[in-house]
Amino acid sequence: MNVKTNDDIKCNFALTDLYNVDDPEIGLNVVDLGLIYEITFHESEKKLDAVMTLTTQFCPMGESIQSNVTQSLMNSFPEWTINVNLIFEPPWDYSMISPEGQEFLGH
Amino acid sequence: MFPGAPVNLQQTTSFKVVLPFYVYAAFSFFIAAILLISNTNIFNQHYFHPHTLALTHLMALGWGTMIILGASHQLLPVIIEGKLDSIPLAYLSFAFSGIGIPFLIIGFYIFHTGWVLQTGAVLVNIGVLCYLLNVLSSIYESKKSIIHAWFIGFAALWLFSTTFLGLLLVFNLTHKLLPSDSLEYLTLHAHFGIIGWFLMLVIGVGSRLIPMFLISKYTNNKILWWIFSLLNIGLILFILIKIYALPFTFYYLPVFLILTGVGMFGWYCRKAYTVRIRKGVDEQMKISLISVGQMLLPIFVLVVVLLLVPSQPSLNLIMLYGFCVFFGWLTAIILGMTFKTLPFIVWNKVYHKKAYAGKTPAPKELFNEKIFTAMMHSYLTGFVLFIMGVIFLHSYLLQAGAVLILVSSALYLTNIVIILLHKPSKQ
Repeated sequence: MNVKTNDDIKCNFALTDLYNVDDPEIGLNVVDLGLIYEITFHESEKKLDAVMTLTTQFCPMGESIQSNVTQSLMNSFPEWTINVNLIFEPPWDYSMISPEGQEFLGH
Repeated sequence: MFPGAPVNLQQTTSFKVVLPFYVYAAFSFFIAAILLISNTNIFNQHYFHPHTLALTHLMALGWGTMIILGASHQLLPVIIEGKLDSIPLAYLSFAFSGIGIPFLIIGFYIFHTGWVLQTGAVLVNIGVLCYLLNVLSSIYESKKSIIHAWFIGFAALWLFSTTFLGLLLVFNLTHKLLPSDSLEYLTLHAHFGIIGWFLMLVIGVGSRLIPMFLISKYTNNKILWWIFSLLNIGLILFILIKIYALPFTFYYLPVFLILTGVGMFGWYCRKAYTVRIRKGVDEQMKISLISVGQMLLPIFVLVVVLLLVPSQPSLNLIMLYGFCVFFGWLTAIILGMTFKTLPFIVWNKVYHKKAYAGKTPAPKELFNEKIFTAMMHSYLTGFVLFIMGVIFLHSYLLQAGAVLILVSSALYLTNIVIILLHKPSKQ
């Protein structure tokens, strides 16, 4: 797990909930899978910007995963405006899976 | 900051378009299995037998083609990296094919060569044309030239070639449209479908999905281009050999090219399997991978048939070839892949925005695993027994094999119903 952030404490709080959001095909959560790239907190505006990716741009479950990440962040920060952006540059690759995730996949 | 600009996700195809195809196919397989039990005697007769034609078309169109049409409408965005161009065309494709297929099957079964068969052939062609236009316009709109799109585009073209030739053959039974009898063109019609449509599509889609489901980093476009060329050149050579009535030894060339293509695909799958990230492989993927090996079985039977051609091969060997294609390779891959795709479609429908609201089942939990395992055992045992029955023309083996295949089709249908009726549990 290597999520960029400007506020470690809030980020850890957000991740606690994001650990419950799984990629339905793989059965592994989006954090250990390395899909969450960045979470930025704009304290004055009460605005949260998250940047995430998918294992493939044409993942049929992509919409669902993005929606669930948004729901999770809304749950963690109910007073905040949540904005989840999908990017594919840099593309996701297997080295982004956390050691716990690797273990889950049988490595 | 990350360099990539935010991207809006491609809309997936609505489940409403896709699910009718799956239901239609499941019932077709069940009916085909009943026909198989009541017609085991056709396996030592000529393949131009009304019941053989009915059974083959039910398996090829009602089962294989309908489920592949449904799945490919859903998977097209993944395969071509674009979106399905037209939802209305997808509905029309289902409506025309779905109405046309029973006419065709009944027409063959009672051998009513007039309006019954002709209506079926026309309707199926309109349905397939809708699909072809949809695939080609989707590929064109995606503005990408990726190998998987070439596979699916050419497969759709070969499918239309198959059904259009079929239409000509049907009308040729009552009006002299072609230089020879319809029987003369039957092998062309069959191989347009088997190699051009089924094999091309399964390899195009499989080469994308198998590494994806295995979470494998393996990709090799060069080998896929080779496979694509070998299959198309092999098929075109086969047509030329047939048209120019060249000696039988010439047939080894297209068989060799296609066998090489299939072998290369097997190698591709093996590489994807070897470097997979996810070590555990689920049962659905196992049967899909077994089906890759099953591709070789009909080719092996075909080579035996060709070797026996000078001394007239026995009719049951030719029938065995068709059985290995439709009840073997094609059925195995569908049995496996249905439970990799349908649960996701239904999961997306039911849990799209609910997944975070509490613990939700994984897509694979939407079907009954015990029923799936029983289905696979019943199918594989039935398939082997039936093959033995065809080779030795043993009626008990044929009956036992057919009964087990019927059991597997009933279990398949049961699991489809379980998935479709899935409701989220109250929390």
